[in-house]
Amino acid sequence: MSFSNISQIIARHIGVEAGEIKPTSRFKEDLQIDSLDIFEIVMDLEEQYDLEIPTEDLEDLRTVGDLVKYIDSVKD
Amino acid sequence: MNKFDFFHKLGVKYPLIQGGMAWISDSSLASAVSEAGGIGMLAAGSAPVEYVQQEIRKAKQLTAKPFGVNIMLLSEHVEAIARLVCAEGIKIVTTGAGSPGKYLKMWKEHGITVIPVVPSVALARRMEKEGADAVIAEGGEAGGHIGELTTMALLPQIVDAVDIPVIAAGGIGDGRGIAAAFMLGASGVQMGTRFLVAKECTVHQNYKERIIKARDIDSVVTGRSTGHPVRVLRNKLTRRFEELERAGASIEELEALGTGALRKAAKDGDVANGSVMAGQIAGLVKEEQSCSEIIEQVFSEAAERLNALSIDLIVKDNPADERD
Repeated sequence: MSFSNISQIIARHIGVEAGEIKPTSRFKEDLQIDSLDIFEIVMDLEEQYDLEIPTEDLEDLRTVGDLVKYIDSVKD
Repeated sequence: MNKFDFFHKLGVKYPLIQGGMAWISDSSLASAVSEAGGIGMLAAGSAPVEYVQQEIRKAKQLTAKPFGVNIMLLSEHVEAIARLVCAEGIKIVTTGAGSPGKYLKMWKEHGITVIPVVPSVALARRMEKEGADAVIAEGGEAGGHIGELTTMALLPQIVDAVDIPVIAAGGIGDGRGIAAAFMLGASGVQMGTRFLVAKECTVHQNYKERIIKARDIDSVVTGRSTGHPVRVLRNKLTRRFEELERAGASIEELEALGTGALRKAAKDGDVANGSVMAGQIAGLVKEEQSCSEIIEQVFSEAAERLNALSIDLIVKDNPADERD
């Protein structure tokens, strides 16, 4: 899945323009995304792309780029 | 499924869970609640595994009825405590501060009924998907670490979103609150603050007196700016916190003020400089009673309220109607 798909999903959840989200954007510090937002986003990703993302895998994801890389790795 | 099937299977008389309160919910309180027909909960909080094990064993001596353990997922001892509840044959676990996803499989394999506390619809749905048996929908009226939504708004939204039982928490302190929770679709309730003043609760007497004296407006939330909001009763500590916040103190400085503060109030009785965590309902709590007195009273009040309902919600004999 491309960065642009994921950034659009995140943008829709937190109400910013997708263009403001960069691969280096940190969820907490740069996007003010808290743990509850993360669950919303992850469940959306799971539903849209028919994936299972275990909760424990979320702990290591700090940036949007990390999430894109993670999704690509589980998709294969 | 009958509304009470869930609690019936757990072998309790009332659809009630006692809220897990760190430094406070020990074997004395939990066993008394279980003996009185609810589900008593030992709070693991941030305590080491040895302490939790000792409290589990004490509670087993004090009651043969079911009790559970509340596990705070941010505790540094969480892994060991997650295994301990399996080894000790605990049957009910509630969790706070996040998602217990990675422990769910192990707990289910040990026959544990898992009930995460959730502050949002998405987390409730995720917990259902991962295999939780029920969820506790906790509104921001609750004491301690809280979410943003109120019980009144959160509870029916979660009830609509999941098929597992939903237990209401936050702002419930008497029979009226219990009746209201059932009207909103709850299958049971969790109460914490009301049990702070239970005779069997070993919290410091100063803490109990502070709860009994509390007015509605004494309930405040600190730490919204740090992302870790905590509901407490206002005192010197909360004023100091607000001063620091206004002065632009760093998150680290603000969090440092909270470190050890609950213990200071709950164990040492310093209710001026310690953190007196309590729900908004503290203003309603007026006397020290035994757990049995509290539970019998609130459930008879609730049943009375619910059984008396036969209201059609039309104002009768209003002169305006006659013009029709």
